[in-house]
Amino acid sequence: MQKRRLATLALGAAISVAVFAAAAGGSGAKSGGTFRIGTSSGIDSLNPYVAFNQDAYATFQYIYPILVQYDDNLHFAPFFARSWKASNGGKTWTFKTQPNAKWSDGQPLTAADAAWTINTDIKYQGSGAANEAGLIAHITRAEASNPTTLVVHYKHAPGNVLGQFQQFFILPKHIWSKHTGHKGADLKTFPNNAPIVGSGPFKLVKFQKNEIALFQRNGSYWGKKPQIDAFGLRQFSNDDAMISALKAHEIDALETVPATAIKSLRRAGFTISDVRGLDQTDFIINSNPKKKKHRELLSLKVKEAFAHAIDRKQIIDVVFLGTATPADSIIPAPTGPWHNPNLKPETFDLRLANTILDKLGYKKGSDGIRVAKGHKMSYDVIAPTSVGSITRTFQILQPDFKKIGVQLREKALDATAAFDLMSGPNGKYQGFDLAMWDWTALIDPDFMLSVTTCAQYGGWSDSAFCDKTYDRMYSQQQLTPDQNKRRQIVWKMQKYLYDHRPYIWLANDDAVTAVSPKWTGFMNTPQGPFNELNISSLTSVHQK
Amino acid sequence: MRGADYVIKRTAFAVLTVFVALTINFALFRLAPGSAVSNLSRVPHATQELRQALKRQFGLDKSKGAQYVLYLKQLVHGNLGISFENQQPVSHNLWIALKNTLPMVLVGTLFAIVLGTLTGVIAAWRRGTLAESATVTTALSFYSMPTHWLGLMLVILFTGILPTGGMSNDFLINPSFWTHIRDVASHMVLPSLTLGLVLYGEYTLIVRSAMLETLGEDYILTARAKGLTPWTIIRKHALRNAMLPIVTLVALSLGYIVAGAILIETVFSWPGIGRAVYDAVLQRDYPMLQGAFLLLTVSVVFFNLLADLLYFKLDPRITS
Amino acid sequence: MSVVLNEPGLAVEGEPVRSRGGFVWRTVRRRPSATVGATLLLLVLLGAGLAPWVAPYPLHQQVGPVFGHPSWSHPLGLDDGGIDMVTLLMWGARISLVVGFAATLVSMLIGGSIGLLAGYFGGRTDVVLMRITDYFLVIPDVPLMIVVAAIWGPSLFHIVIVIGILLWTSTARVIRAQVKSVRERVYVKRARSLGAGHTRILVRHVVPQVAPLLIANTVLTIAVAIFDETALSFLGLGDPSRTSLGKIIENAFQRAAISSGAWWAIVPPGALVAVIILGCSLLGGALEDALNPRLRVAHLSARTFRLRPLVGRSAESI
Repeated sequence: MQKRRLATLALGAAISVAVFAAAAGGSGAKSGGTFRIGTSSGIDSLNPYVAFNQDAYATFQYIYPILVQYDDNLHFAPFFARSWKASNGGKTWTFKTQPNAKWSDGQPLTAADAAWTINTDIKYQGSGAANEAGLIAHITRAEASNPTTLVVHYKHAPGNVLGQFQQFFILPKHIWSKHTGHKGADLKTFPNNAPIVGSGPFKLVKFQKNEIALFQRNGSYWGKKPQIDAFGLRQFSNDDAMISALKAHEIDALETVPATAIKSLRRAGFTISDVRGLDQTDFIINSNPKKKKHRELLSLKVKEAFAHAIDRKQIIDVVFLGTATPADSIIPAPTGPWHNPNLKPETFDLRLANTILDKLGYKKGSDGIRVAKGHKMSYDVIAPTSVGSITRTFQILQPDFKKIGVQLREKALDATAAFDLMSGPNGKYQGFDLAMWDWTALIDPDFMLSVTTCAQYGGWSDSAFCDKTYDRMYSQQQLTPDQNKRRQIVWKMQKYLYDHRPYIWLANDDAVTAVSPKWTGFMNTPQGPFNELNISSLTSVHQK
Repeated sequence: MRGADYVIKRTAFAVLTVFVALTINFALFRLAPGSAVSNLSRVPHATQELRQALKRQFGLDKSKGAQYVLYLKQLVHGNLGISFENQQPVSHNLWIALKNTLPMVLVGTLFAIVLGTLTGVIAAWRRGTLAESATVTTALSFYSMPTHWLGLMLVILFTGILPTGGMSNDFLINPSFWTHIRDVASHMVLPSLTLGLVLYGEYTLIVRSAMLETLGEDYILTARAKGLTPWTIIRKHALRNAMLPIVTLVALSLGYIVAGAILIETVFSWPGIGRAVYDAVLQRDYPMLQGAFLLLTVSVVFFNLLADLLYFKLDPRITS
Repeated sequence: MSVVLNEPGLAVEGEPVRSRGGFVWRTVRRRPSATVGATLLLLVLLGAGLAPWVAPYPLHQQVGPVFGHPSWSHPLGLDDGGIDMVTLLMWGARISLVVGFAATLVSMLIGGSIGLLAGYFGGRTDVVLMRITDYFLVIPDVPLMIVVAAIWGPSLFHIVIVIGILLWTSTARVIRAQVKSVRERVYVKRARSLGAGHTRILVRHVVPQVAPLLIANTVLTIAVAIFDETALSFLGLGDPSRTSLGKIIENAFQRAAISSGAWWAIVPPGALVAVIILGCSLLGGALEDALNPRLRVAHLSARTFRLRPLVGRSAESI
C-alpha cells in the first residue's frame, strides 16, 4: 500500500514537474499583441488604381489575394494560385486557385474575381485602369472555368508571366463592379476607405493619410495565419521623430534606418538588420543620339573616362557610412540570378581617366578645364532635391572631375521640375547633359530594362538612351518563356548597357531596419521588411 | 472718415484683393515646370494610355483659359475641386489638415500672450532694475531664435520625456475621451511651447511700452497715493491701454501664423496645413495648391480686415 | 508700437535730422541697446569677412569621421560630411549675410521707390501703388517661396529675389508715411512754389529726411531676410551648393543628427543666426527709436516672415 502510494505520488510529481517545465516557456514564442512599425514614406492612396508609393503596394500585398509570391530565395511560390501550367506554346496559362476562400465580408472568393479584375483592367486600360495597363500587357482575355480554375489567354507568349502576376492584386468583384461608371473613370475616384473588403492575413481597419494605417488579423484568411493580433504603420515626416519614437517605445520597429543613427540604435539595444538592397544611385549621361549640344558626351571613351573619375569607396564611406556596395549594373545583385556577375565597377583611376581624355585631344586650358569641340568641358548636373544623398555625393565627385579637367556645377531642382527639364522640351531630351538620381529595382528585370528603351521617352527614360539593338533584345526577353534562355538575354543586355554607359552606377545601398529586442521574426529583404515581395515579415513576427 | 463708409470700402477692397490673388496664383502654379501627370504616371506599369487618361481626368488637356473659367465656375459653387494626388475633394483634405494645425497654433498663441503680458508687466513695473533688463533681453533672445532651431533644441532636451513627434499615439485602440485628450495634449506641449516662446517677445515689448506710457500719467500717481495695490493699478488702468495693440497684434498674427507653422510642423512631424501645402507643391497638385492658397489668402485678408476695423473702432485717437 | 527699448529723453520729436552718418554713430554711442547690437554684428561681420584667411580648415575637405565629436583640434566637432564646424560656421555666416544684404537691397530699392512715389505724389498714384502693395501683403509667404523655388530652382540668386519680393511692402508703407509728413513741411512747400521740379525736391529735400528711417528699416529688414533664408533652407529650398547657416542646420537634420547624438551640428549654427538677428533687432530698433520715439511705425515680426507695419494707423493706410 505505502509503496503504491509513493509511486503514485512520485508519478504525480513527475508529471507536474514536466507540465510546469513545458509551461515555463520552452519554445518561448508568445502570440498576440500589436506590432508597431515606423516609416518616413507612407501610403499615398488605398486605391490600387491611384497609389504609387511602395508602402501602398506593400499594404495591398497583405490585404488582397495575389496569385504568386516570392519565397525567401526569390523563387516563385504558390499563393492564391496553388499550381499553374502553361500550354499552347505559352499563350495559355491555367491557374488552380484556393478552394473555399472567402472575402473578409463573408462573400466567396473564387477564380471569377481574378478573371473579373483582369478583364476589367483590359477593358478600361485607356482610362480608369491605366495604372495597371503594363501588368496585363499581351493578355487578350481571362475566364474562370470553375471557381478554382483561372485561364488566361495571351496574344504572344510572354517571358515574365509570373513576375507580372506577382504584382497583380485581385479585387472583389462584388465591391468594385459598382465603380466602373463613366467609362471606368470611377475606378480612380473610389476612395476605397477602411475598413477594406479584402482577403489576406490582415484586414485594413483604420487609415489616416500621413499618419497611421492599422491592420487587424483576418479570421477568415485561407492561408498561413499571423501570430500577432494587429500591426500598424505609423508615418513620420522626419527621421529624428521616428527614431525618437522607437527609443521611447512608442513603436517597435523602423522600416528604414538612416545610416548615421545605426550606431546609436545598436547601443540602445535594438536589433539592426542590414541586407543588400535594391536601390542604386546613379550618374546619368544624356545619351540621346539626336542631342544637339555637347555631343562629345555621346562618346563612349568620354563616358569611360568619367567612370574612372568616380571614387565609389569614398561615397560609400561618407554618404552611406559603409552601408552600401559599389554598383555596376542596371540590375542590382540582390535580384539573384538576373544580375550579370561578370560586370565589375570601374576602378577609381584619375591617371587613366586623364590619359583617355588626353588621347581624344581635349587639351586643358589655363584654368585646368579641357576644351572639347570648341567649348569648355563645363557642365550642369541636374540634382533632384528628393534624393537626400545626391549633394554629398556631388561634393565628392566635383573635385575629382576637376582633376581630370571637367568642371561640374550642381543644379538643384525638385523632382518634378528636374524630370521636366531632363525630358524637355516635350519629350525631346534636349535640355540636359548630366544628372544624378536613383532607381529602385524590382526582382523581375523587365521593368528596369525597359527604362532605357526608345518607347520610354517621356515616360520612364531619364537617360534618353535609344538603341535599336537594345530594343530588339528587350522585346526578345519579354517574349522568351524559357527562363534560362531569358536570363542569357538579360545578361547580354546588362553588358550592352555597361559598354554604352547611359548610367554610371554608383552605390547599391543596403536595406537597414531596426527592431525592438522584445520582438523577433520581422524579416528584412532587399526591399525592406514591409515589401511587395511576400507576406513573410508580418506573418512571422511575434513577441519573444 | 465716416464709419460705415470705411467698413464698406475696406471690405470691398478685401474681396477684390482675394480675387486678384487667386487669379495670379492660378497662373503662377502653371508656370512651375513639370506637371502632376508626369509625376503620377511614373509607375512601373505605365503606358501612354495612363498619361492621356490622367491628363483628361485632371482637365489638363483643355486650354489654360478654359481651365480658369472652369475653376471660377466651381469656386462660385463652393467646389474647390478634386486633389490630383489622392482623388479626394480638396475641401476635405484641407479641412483635415486645418483641424490638425489650429489647436496647436491657438494654444501656442495663448501661451505667448499670457507669458508676454506677464513679462511685459514685470518689465514696466520694475523699470530701470535688473529685472527689467533680464526680462527684456530674454524676450528678445527667444524672439531672435529661428523657429525650427528652437524646436530642435526642445527635441534634444526633451527626447524621452515628452513625445517629440506626431499628433497623438495612434496605437491607442478606442481610448476613453480623457485618455485621448491627455495623449493629444502631451504631444502638443513641445510644438505649442516652441510657437509660444518665439512669439511672446513681441507681446512683452508691446505690453511694456503701453504700460510705460500709462504709468507715467498723473492719475496713476493719484491712485498710488490713494493706497491702491500695484496689481489693481496695473489691471484697472495700465493694462487696459495695452489691450488695443495686443488685440490688433493677435488678429494680424492669426492670419499669418497658419502658413508660418510649417516650420514647427516639419520639426515635430505634425500633420497640418503647412505640410499639406509643401507636399502639394512637390506633386504639382494644382487643385490642392489653389485651395490652400485661397484658404490662406482669405484668412490673411479676413484677419487684416478685422484688425483694421477693430483698430478703427477701438482707437480713441482716431476721431473723424 | 515698435519693438524697441524705450529710452526716453534721448531724442526730440520730429526734428529734421541733419547728418545721416552722424545720426547712426551717435545712436550707437548713446544707447546701450544699440551698442550691444552693433558690437554683436561687428563681431559676426569680422568672423565672416575674414573667413577665407582665418578659417582653421579647408571648407570642402573631410578632416575626420562623419559627425566627429568636439575635440581640442575641432572645438565644435564635425558635420555629416566630416567637415570642421568652426570653418563651416564662418563660411556659412558669410553666405547668410550676403543673402541677407542682397535681399534687403532688393527690398529697399523696390519698397523705397514705391513708398517715395506713393507718398510724394499722392492721389491716384498713391491709390494704385497701395493696392499693389496690398496684394503682395496678403500672399502666403511660405507657399509662395516653395512655388518659386519649384519654378526657378533653388539657386542663391532666386532665393534673394524671392525674399526681396516678400519684404518690400513694409518698407514701402513706412517710407510713404514719412514722405507724406515731410511733404507738408514748410520748406518743401516753399520750394514747390518757387517752381522747383519734382526730381529736385525729391532728391534734395525729401530723401535726406527719409534716409535715417530707411537705414533703421534696412537693419530690421536684414534680420528678417536672414531668418527667411534659414527657414527656406530648412524646408529644403535653399541652394545646395552654398552652405549657409540655414543649410548647415538642414543638412544635420536630414542626416538624423539628433538621433546620432551630434548636437554640435545643430546648436551652434542656429545660435549664430539668433545672435545676428538679435544684433540687428537691437540696433535697428534703437535707430528707429532715436529718430522718433513716438513714431512707432514698424512692427518687427520675423516670426511671420516679414516686417508688418501697424495697420489702421490713421488715414495714411487707407
